[in-house]
Amino acid sequence: MSEPDRTRLPIRRPRFQGVANRTLHGSVPDWDLIGHAEPPAGAPNVLLVLIDDAGFGNPATFGGPIATPNYTRMAEGGLKYNRFHVTALCSPTRAALLTGRNSHTVGVGSVGEFAGGFPGYSATLPRDCAPLPRILRDNGYSTAAFGKWHLTPDGQQGPAGPLDRWPTGWGFDYFYGFLGGGASQWDPCLAENQKIIGTEPTYYDRENPYYLPDAMADKTIEWLHGVRAQDAHKPFFVYFSTGCSHAPHHVAKAWADKYKGKFDQGWDRLREETFARQKALGVIPADAELTGRNEAFPAWDDVPEHLKPFYARQMEVYAGYSENADYNVGRVIDAVDELGELDNTLIIWIWGDNGASMEGTITGSFNELTMQNGIPLTDEMQLQLSERYGGIEAWGGELMDPHYSAAWAWAGNTPFQWGKQVGSHLGGTRNPMVIHWPGRVTGAGGLRSQFTHVTDVAPTILDVTGIPVPSSVDGVDQEPMHGVTFAGTLTDPAAPERHTQQYFETIGNRAMYKDGWWLAMRTPRIPWVITPEALKPYAPGVWDPDADPAELYYLPDDYSQAHDLAAEHPDKVAELKELFWAEAERYQVLPLLATLSTFFGMLPPLPEEARFEFRGDVQNVLSGMIPRIYNHSYAISADLVVPAGGAEGVIVAEADHLGGFSLFVDGGKLTHTYSMMGVFVYRQQAGEPLPAGEVNVRMEFAADEAKPATGGEVTLFINDRPVGKGRMDHTVPVRFSGYAGMDIGRDNGGVVDRGYEDRKPFPFTGTVKKVVFDVKPHLASEDEQQLHAAAHRGHAAHALAE
Amino acid sequence: MKFDDETTDVLIGGYMSKDAAQQDYEAALKCGGYLHGAVVVSKDLNGELSVEQTDHMVREGAAGLGAVGFAVGLFAPPLLAATAVGAAIGAGAGKLLHRRTASKLEQQAGETIPIGGAGLILAYPHSAAAKVEPAVTRAIKKAVGEAEGHHVQALKGAIADAQQKMAESGT
Repeated sequence: MSEPDRTRLPIRRPRFQGVANRTLHGSVPDWDLIGHAEPPAGAPNVLLVLIDDAGFGNPATFGGPIATPNYTRMAEGGLKYNRFHVTALCSPTRAALLTGRNSHTVGVGSVGEFAGGFPGYSATLPRDCAPLPRILRDNGYSTAAFGKWHLTPDGQQGPAGPLDRWPTGWGFDYFYGFLGGGASQWDPCLAENQKIIGTEPTYYDRENPYYLPDAMADKTIEWLHGVRAQDAHKPFFVYFSTGCSHAPHHVAKAWADKYKGKFDQGWDRLREETFARQKALGVIPADAELTGRNEAFPAWDDVPEHLKPFYARQMEVYAGYSENADYNVGRVIDAVDELGELDNTLIIWIWGDNGASMEGTITGSFNELTMQNGIPLTDEMQLQLSERYGGIEAWGGELMDPHYSAAWAWAGNTPFQWGKQVGSHLGGTRNPMVIHWPGRVTGAGGLRSQFTHVTDVAPTILDVTGIPVPSSVDGVDQEPMHGVTFAGTLTDPAAPERHTQQYFETIGNRAMYKDGWWLAMRTPRIPWVITPEALKPYAPGVWDPDADPAELYYLPDDYSQAHDLAAEHPDKVAELKELFWAEAERYQVLPLLATLSTFFGMLPPLPEEARFEFRGDVQNVLSGMIPRIYNHSYAISADLVVPAGGAEGVIVAEADHLGGFSLFVDGGKLTHTYSMMGVFVYRQQAGEPLPAGEVNVRMEFAADEAKPATGGEVTLFINDRPVGKGRMDHTVPVRFSGYAGMDIGRDNGGVVDRGYEDRKPFPFTGTVKKVVFDVKPHLASEDEQQLHAAAHRGHAAHALAE
Repeated sequence: MKFDDETTDVLIGGYMSKDAAQQDYEAALKCGGYLHGAVVVSKDLNGELSVEQTDHMVREGAAGLGAVGFAVGLFAPPLLAATAVGAAIGAGAGKLLHRRTASKLEQQAGETIPIGGAGLILAYPHSAAAKVEPAVTRAIKKAVGEAEGHHVQALKGAIADAQQKMAESGT
């Protein structure tokens, strides 16, 4: 068969080369017709691994304190890259990785859940930017993605889609993972292909409980075996995107306990130790300097003694969690090796998508969503709340959704300044990368220091597979890829540096790199503080971005950004500022701070829907898609059929004990439990049992006032007759959960009310015919508008923390 | 020491976990300062109350600390930074101030201790304050009231004073 035209996808069907007469007499078949697109000869398998929310100084392979034997194994048999760059946020890095274009150009200047009203922030992949998996699939690859996705807008994560924004719509034949930015590793609400499948049944197996990282590896291996069982030669592209090390930091205690006492020295000393190891390993230049501590991070010596074990445990869990990720990636690599295909598999393993995450604030949290809901808790409160849910030894278990202190994240980004969300500095933009490919790489164990960027990965993969970047896909002319191949570095340590210019922008923090020079312009806002006061200086008409402090670094001489040269080179500062604006316009970065537009009154239209109906078999409605009951009066009404002997179980439940609500029947009595992020828990119960037959039950919440987190009165009704009441002083203002779903007729995964934990998922033993939510508008339209604004600010805050 | 010989102090503390309240309770018992009485109450996630007390007043024939009144609460932080929400302690203490005649400890604590929370009451002569108060290190919120007079009246007065201070500190 002749080589097809791969520049236009899908590859056209081959012209019939045989003969088709009126009868078989004289006809000649053309067997190429029933084939499929074949990749170029010699195209390797590709395993692309992305670790989440991790820093340059985390893995031991790069001098960090976390044991990563498989990462080191790959580095020793391959190459380490110590000047690889990402965006400073989850979704943008993923979008750039999978499209080869700058993230703003593909509409992902911010996170996937949060679709904004500007082209660079729509969270909607343009059709002129066909992604890598689609290109590979159309060129004959089997493609699959496992784990974190984070490229589907919040309101599109159900069966109504649009499903072209799901992984399968991006070109993956198979997907097993979660669509959001973070997930419980114990009871994630999962998606498989185009269906939300919720929590796996093995979650309920107490002897051998479900654990997502294990399951990801299992599913990947199963998929690989399936592909090979059918086709011994078809190359595969696997995107293995771990939920680790994003919060919640979930791992079995045994993994965390491997690090007992390893962080008692604190974050300041840890940085020094990591830095020394980095020097000894040679993964940073001998003349690199350790940057100093910003005053935003407290000195370890200033932490009260009785709280140091609490803080140390946070990092022990994070380390165990991360080592487990290395272990499970290793299992996948071993499976490829067992297939005899390791030599012909290009493994690209990136340890972190945006530096380590500082979103735990200084205290860290027993429940990462407390921050996103604007609940500032002191470290003593965090410690007590962790005690409520099992104590610091249970940090990492399923009763908490923990995130560590921002100071540990900063230490994880050694030797750089800052971390996630700070696109102006290397702590948020430089992550380790390892490439393993015995069939091509020369000088195994070597180090590569060319400036490389996440947009380069797709062009490099296409380059080594012999597949061109298509000029047309589905009849749509394509935007060229913005990255450039670094395939030359696989065999030549002195290969010329091809990526010579790159802008960076995340939530207004920005940088312009050109020929070794790096202009850094950080908005002087603490990244994890998004209070109205903190944002005031950035209001339209107030903020002059050119007046932000400018720092200038020359990276060839200053690996870690330790010496600000701005005062010595004002012309270079001016040049790079101008270049940034030009690049920002070219790649749809503008307007700056579009991510935070809702904080400044730029809101999507007020939603009109106020009534939501769910039939009895609806389950696993993702948390961003439940009725927006927050900050409003509302009613939940259910039509039930109760058998003569009575019934029990859950009528409707959202999320779990760390934030959520459940309307259920226990002991024959209608009960409502509401968890305000696990900080406050309210329970109301009817004073009389539920009658048999056709029954309507209703829970009404009457909000005190039109303001976020309003308190209010709860009344329970049976057949319109009040049967119970109670008060909730505080309600959840933004979002109950980052990952858990809402279920009708049961409470899947972790439960809302621990009282029925031993009966979970506590299915309703009668019949739930229908559940209806009625969200009441506030009387004054300006109140409604203000709450709409607050909801979207909260939405943005949630999104930024994912 | 009879507790009508001098000013009576009452410290009430609110906690987000039983562990923390228990630690302070035990620290107070070991602090070396004389205690008229100490009570720690917690409510687990199922809503079940547990009570532990050391009540010298009972031995002295008084009504007993637990029977006189109980109110604790939790610090309630601002939400979304712009919205200050009322402290649980405000509501709980406010109710009790209006009906602080004796009632059963369990009933009062049941009404005022949030699910998952805990509270501590310590009553002691003012002369012991320098030893007792520093022992309470983990309370999210605490207040000390004082009153003079005959035992039960002094105790009631000190509790009311502490409750008032707790409520006033609000958010």
